[in-house]
Amino acid sequence: MSTPTVRARRALALGPGLAVLGVILALVAFLSITLGSRDIGLSDVLRALAGLDGSSIEHTVTVEMRVPRTLLGVLVGAALGVAGTVLQGVTRNPLADTGIMGVNSGAAAFVVLAITVLGVRGVNVYIWFAFAGAILATLLVYVIASLGREGATPVKLALAGAAVTAGMGSLTTGIVMTNVDALNELRFWQVGSLAGRYAPILSGVAPFLIAGLIASLACGRALNGLALGEDTARGLGQRVGLTRAAAFAVVAVLAGAATAACGPIVFVGLIVPHLARFICGPDYRWILPYSMLLAPIVLLLADVVGRVVAAPGELQVGVVLGVLGAPVFVGIVRYGRLSEA
Amino acid sequence: MRIWRPIVAAAALSLTLAACASTDTPEATPTSSGPWQFTNGNGELVKADKTPTRIIAHAGEAAALMSFGIKPVGVYADESVKTDPNLKGLDLTGIEILGQEWGKIDVEKAAALRPDLIVADWWPAEKAHSGLEEGVDEKSKKLKELAPIVGVAQGKSIADLAEGYEDLAQSLGAKVDAPEIAAAKKKYEDAVAAFKAAVAAKPNLTALAMSPADDKVYVANPEYAPELLDFQKWGLKVVNPDKPDPGFPYWENLSWENADKYQPDLILWDGRSYTDTANAEWGKKQPTWFAIKAAKADAVVSWPAYWLHTFGHFAAELDKLTVAIKAADENVGS
Repeated sequence: MSTPTVRARRALALGPGLAVLGVILALVAFLSITLGSRDIGLSDVLRALAGLDGSSIEHTVTVEMRVPRTLLGVLVGAALGVAGTVLQGVTRNPLADTGIMGVNSGAAAFVVLAITVLGVRGVNVYIWFAFAGAILATLLVYVIASLGREGATPVKLALAGAAVTAGMGSLTTGIVMTNVDALNELRFWQVGSLAGRYAPILSGVAPFLIAGLIASLACGRALNGLALGEDTARGLGQRVGLTRAAAFAVVAVLAGAATAACGPIVFVGLIVPHLARFICGPDYRWILPYSMLLAPIVLLLADVVGRVVAAPGELQVGVVLGVLGAPVFVGIVRYGRLSEA
Repeated sequence: MRIWRPIVAAAALSLTLAACASTDTPEATPTSSGPWQFTNGNGELVKADKTPTRIIAHAGEAAALMSFGIKPVGVYADESVKTDPNLKGLDLTGIEILGQEWGKIDVEKAAALRPDLIVADWWPAEKAHSGLEEGVDEKSKKLKELAPIVGVAQGKSIADLAEGYEDLAQSLGAKVDAPEIAAAKKKYEDAVAAFKAAVAAKPNLTALAMSPADDKVYVANPEYAPELLDFQKWGLKVVNPDKPDPGFPYWENLSWENADKYQPDLILWDGRSYTDTANAEWGKKQPTWFAIKAAKADAVVSWPAYWLHTFGHFAAELDKLTVAIKAADENVGS
């Protein structure tokens, strides 16, 4: 597996594989624009995309709803996949998911705080509080875990994450118990959905997501080092603390912005890194771009399924992923590919 | 757990926006100080050794009883008692408030009141009394262990419901021939006559009962909304949605892409979320809301969704609807 020739041969196949995934993603994105709970013929979709007949309902649905939804799905999916990959790598924990780093609970707590304390209304506004909450919670986890001599070790990170998640969760529950408005807003946000998010949200979070995705691609080599164990990484001349801090910053921005925009979406960040490792082997320089393309494919497909099966209504993508993700996850475990990160 | 909770929550939310149907009308039994009985909304006869006096009631049912002079010892509501449309303007001093949120009843406080009767509507579609439906806090359900529970069924007409509570009040010893009660009924009959006249003048007018929400648009199914059935009976063409949610038939769920599936001339807007600026706000927020021509034309009116229990309240709401019908253009949606 690790002889130079094998590695070269693998790389030879992985490059074109990435291109194939890119094509698949483009196809899925096209599906996401053409299929939905409203039945719109292909020719009408194409007319709408070409900007003809701007006043028609087909134009409104395609251009104002489906296109931003699809773009958001691509970015959020990529962000969750990459955040999960980086997190699993940096904590060397194959079950790490952005949820356990306090991202979801921090975001939720800030959503209800914004609603009750500041009287904020509407998803366009409170996503910024969700973003701030996610960042703050992740930061808190990192700082707590860093206390002590050996720094933020994987075990301490997991413990600090659990503690912060529990604390933020109690705060959220405490508030929504006494405030029905906050509960109703939280219900909408907490399902995890790409619906009802239009251009303002997309343009709001896109810069953070794109920046985070670009930065993540630089993490591959460092994650490879960490995967060998911290002492070995140190021996190879890597500055472990700095690497970990940088990786955490990337995770916080990616997962925070994604979760703020769409609510907590599970399973993508957990499963996709395993799929990517299954295809690529242990090299994070390949795992990261593979996760970046695989995750939005999974997310968009789930979203399309949710929109088609329940017409004229819709199932939220969070629900579809929950239903489809659980058996897939069980399958991965049974198949024995839950390899150590 | 994190994934499933919102589904229950979403159902719970819908439940709060809900109502149901049945033709059963409870019958009162002659009053006496001796054994008491009343036919519950599900057809079962509920009996007690003596006429109950310490009553806990759900908000609207409490308001109905109070209109006949029967004051409950405790009340639980689905929202703040200050904003509940049934309780607005009522003197609640001396009444213990046991809950102000759907699905949450303080049963410990309720037990301390030593009730001998609980009064809550019977919802035939859910086979449950108000406050004890699927999705409420499990602890709330213990309310039914405190005392016998009765309620009139949410059936085919608000008049049946109001008369059912009149019968219940009578069985509990209330005098139901007070002049205010007769006056409220007269007001209701006048309001119905005016409503019918306004509808008759617009034979092509269609209406759709809706409740927009962030993730989807709910379209009410008149079959499970007694007041909408009343409107239909009086000639208003309230559209029947063609695909109600099989698991929760009060509504058809439309994704925002399909918000314009129906094109009514007048939108009956769920009164629990209606405000004077709501239509403009939703038009700004959702690209497809104004694809409904009636919404674009601001032909919207508050609909008293699933809360009416008395002739007095219904009369007041009917008057507002009549004004809107008179002002409506019966060709907006066509």
